[in-house]
Amino acid sequence: MSEMLPMSSAPAEPVPGPLGLYVHVPFCATTCDFCAFYQTRPTAEGIARYLEGIAAEMRLFPPDRPVTTVFWGGGTPGLLAPSALRRLGELVRAYVGDQLVEWTVEMAPASVTRARLEALRDVGVTRISMGAQSFSPELLAALGRQHTREQVLRAYDRVRAAEFPSVNLDLMFALPGQTEAEWMSDLDQAVALAPDHLSTYCLTFEEDTKLWVKLSEGRVKLDPENEDRLYERTWEHLTAAGYPQYEVANFARPGHPCLHNLNTWHMHEWIGLGPAAASQYAGLRAANTADLNQWFENVGQGRRVTEDRVELTPELLAQDALIFGLRLTAGVNPVALARRFPSAQWDRARGVLADLEAEGWAEKSGPLFRLTTAGRLLADAVGEAILTAMDPG
Amino acid sequence: MDVSLTRNFCIIAHVDHGKTTLSDRLLEYTSTVSERMLTDQHLDAMDLERERGITIKSHPVTMVYRAKDGHDYCLNLMDTPGHVDFSYEVSRSLAACEGALLLIDAAQGVEAQTVANAHLAFAQDLKVIPVINKIDLPSADLELCTKQLEDILMIPAEEAILASGKSGIGIEDILEAVVKQIPPPRWHNYPRTRALIFDSIYDPYRGAIAYARVFSGQLKVGDNMLFMGAGQKTEIKEVGIFTPKMAKKAVLSAGDVGYIVSTIKDPADINTGDTLTLTREPAADMLPGYKEVRPMVFCGLYPLESSDYEKLKSALGRLRLNDAAFVYQSESSLALGFGFRCGFLGLLHMEIIQERIRREHDVEIISTYPSVIYQVFKHGQEMIEVDNPVNLPEPGSITEIREPTIKAAIHIPNTSMGDIMSLVMEKRGTIEQTDTLDATRVMLTCVLPLNEILIDFNDRLKSITRGYGSMDYELGEYQPGNLVKMDIMINGEPVDAFSSIVHRDKAPGKGRDLCEKLAEIIPPQMFKVAIQAAVDGNIIARDNVRVMRKDVTAKCYGGDITRKRKLLDKQKEGKKKMKQIGRVSIPPDAFIQVLKN
Ligand SMILES: Nc1nc2c(ncn2[C@@H]2O[C@H](COP(=O)(O)OP(=O)(O)O)[C@@H](O)[C@H]2O)c(=O)[nH]1
Ligand code: SF4
Repeated sequence: MSEMLPMSSAPAEPVPGPLGLYVHVPFCATTCDFCAFYQTRPTAEGIARYLEGIAAEMRLFPPDRPVTTVFWGGGTPGLLAPSALRRLGELVRAYVGDQLVEWTVEMAPASVTRARLEALRDVGVTRISMGAQSFSPELLAALGRQHTREQVLRAYDRVRAAEFPSVNLDLMFALPGQTEAEWMSDLDQAVALAPDHLSTYCLTFEEDTKLWVKLSEGRVKLDPENEDRLYERTWEHLTAAGYPQYEVANFARPGHPCLHNLNTWHMHEWIGLGPAAASQYAGLRAANTADLNQWFENVGQGRRVTEDRVELTPELLAQDALIFGLRLTAGVNPVALARRFPSAQWDRARGVLADLEAEGWAEKSGPLFRLTTAGRLLADAVGEAILTAMDPG
Repeated sequence: MDVSLTRNFCIIAHVDHGKTTLSDRLLEYTSTVSERMLTDQHLDAMDLERERGITIKSHPVTMVYRAKDGHDYCLNLMDTPGHVDFSYEVSRSLAACEGALLLIDAAQGVEAQTVANAHLAFAQDLKVIPVINKIDLPSADLELCTKQLEDILMIPAEEAILASGKSGIGIEDILEAVVKQIPPPRWHNYPRTRALIFDSIYDPYRGAIAYARVFSGQLKVGDNMLFMGAGQKTEIKEVGIFTPKMAKKAVLSAGDVGYIVSTIKDPADINTGDTLTLTREPAADMLPGYKEVRPMVFCGLYPLESSDYEKLKSALGRLRLNDAAFVYQSESSLALGFGFRCGFLGLLHMEIIQERIRREHDVEIISTYPSVIYQVFKHGQEMIEVDNPVNLPEPGSITEIREPTIKAAIHIPNTSMGDIMSLVMEKRGTIEQTDTLDATRVMLTCVLPLNEILIDFNDRLKSITRGYGSMDYELGEYQPGNLVKMDIMINGEPVDAFSSIVHRDKAPGKGRDLCEKLAEIIPPQMFKVAIQAAVDGNIIARDNVRVMRKDVTAKCYGGDITRKRKLLDKQKEGKKKMKQIGRVSIPPDAFIQVLKN
């Protein structure tokens, strides 16, 4: 299903918005039970190829304007040796230009060392996102995560000591066997550490994960009835604790929302580098081949091979800007969107937005249109309703 | 063969009393078929029928028996359908005989179908020979059986033959009784050729094949014959008897039971009960008892997958070929799409056809609520018949609606008496008579509206009596009823598949049940959806579809957008397959779920 990505690039929008860079670092020490990402075991040879490949891909695919945000995700970027982190950092520095405002790196608590943090600090990383998931030893074990509660706490202290401007912790809820009280206690412990940002994820079961297997074998059970309550309590609790919600799964102290992700949800552009990395750039949404060796071979031969290609029309971008924008607490500005994508099916959207408002799922606030708390719990259904209305096809 | 050496008879029994086993034993004893061939029971061929212990199609067989008097007798054993839905067919098979063996399971005694079948046999003036079967069973109660014979069936007990089909006891006694007690073929001196059609089947190569009992005269290849009832003329291509395979013969003569292949292709053109005669010298009068069978119970049948419509259509066509009593025509429904309105003789007939569509024709179907034929009278107009609630005229124009009733014989243990009486009341029935069968059982004779027994009457009868109760019925008169049409509306729009004609007093309860079930089964919706039951434009019950509480995925970043989009697109496409009623999307199987129970 893969095809060549065109090398020439015409801007998708008349006025280019901010440009992001996503770098996928596909290495993990072990595979978490819930994981559906592309990742592989780190080997010296694999890492060397990876770095070489990134350099090649950067040469193949230069940005048309300065990059403002960078995000290293994975996998576990923080698993690379300090020297490799420095090398990757230098490549990125040279690629992005001089307008960078945010640079996030995902780390796993078990591999947070002073040397790595120092390397990251030196290359200019501004934000550390750490996958704590839980503070409960049993639940961590149940997830197949390779770290302990103590490691989370120690890693956090080290990150703080390295004085990154912004630190995020990832937490997961609705874990098999987790009670509501346990989850609230996880939240409290996270808040007590005073990170700048918190992401909370309801555990989802993706096919091809170990957890899925356990679920289908009946070894773990879902309690979807309870999930809506956990969502609501999380939202209330974190807002009260000084972390206002700004997206379905994201909470931040003022000034700390993740700019890179906000740009994505606003349907601006980003370039994705590395195996499995997705881009939305120059009129095309597509993902790189999800295989380290194949990706390496391709970029080595001067080709960028992508999958899941979607041509970005203003109509599609307008739909997505609404669908994903409504996941944001602030909501969307329909007038601004209509100005940005004048050719989209706004007349069709109007009816469904009015219905949502009438039913109490959405409300107007000044120029903004946003979902209510109850409506945000239905963000997927809202998305589908919008899609059905705007693109009845 | 001399007519005086022919005997035509059948075996009648309650289900499981051993008819098949005994028939096989008779075939074996007369060396009609070998023991080995008997492994697949001959007279009861269809799987489905066997599973349900009933026979729908009659398969006659001719045996030759050398009696103690030294003569070789030709014995034609007619098989009869075992269920009341097919009572007309049964009566035609009986009409082709002069006698019947009435089988009674020695351990069970007389049961509902025993009584019903015995009455049918008496009505045809048959010589009834009682056989108490399964006497090998330790639980056999001969005393009870003989007492029941006398008390319930008024048959002298000393006539009863004691037998066991399984152990081969009494087989010769039975054959001797057939020869000695059953009269030779009647009406053979009638001056013209007459034969009774008691069944027909479809053969892909030879067309419609009629099963007939010749009463007088002869039928042979090349003769031109006339179906007197249908007025149809045709030429005989082949005649023969059942041995039990079809075996060609030159002629069929008075007293013979056999088959006739003619130029007729469609079995629907051959009516069970019709009289055959020769066009050359036609008979003046038909044989007695002919009537056109009419379906009594109707329902809509729809393919689960709308793409299966053609497949369903051809399945119905093929079933109809071998079952003239089954009728269908196309119809469409808002909720279920394109399908067929089908008519059946009764509930069991309906079930069997549905099951055969699923199993033999591999089409998944859903059926709407069964309905009966109502007689609707309007101001100053002729009566019209309505078998689909959707076709009921405006309530204001109706002066009276009449509904069919049944006369039911319900056999139950004494201890269930109270509960069954309340069940009958609940179903708007009246109990006309109560007879004691024995120390522990009674028989209730009731009149019930047919429509009340369509849904769950039999199941409840069985559950109240823990399986010991049984029921048999015949159709009764039409009687006026306080009947109304109840519509079910979703967001104010009536959903035709759920419309029904019900008694006014029962409408609120039924309406509540239906609304509740729909509210439970329709998946939660993002927008408020009212479900209402209405009679004459008044809302008599209502409920709400559950409101969706949560439908959100937490993780949604750059790399997830394509996947998320695809998922939403897929859901959107999925919804297209759903029934859209206003803003509500209802998965088609939601209706099906409700119709199922
Ligand atoms: N003990 C005993 N069982 C019998 C006898 N005849 C039939 N059965 C059993 O009774 C059941 C029903 O017999 P079947 O001939 O199929 O009954 P049908 O429904 O009347 O045709 C089967 O399990 C037979 O094996 C008999 O004479 N003695
Ligand atoms: S750390 Fe992340 S990418 Fe690696 S296995 Fe766990 S969930 Fe998957």
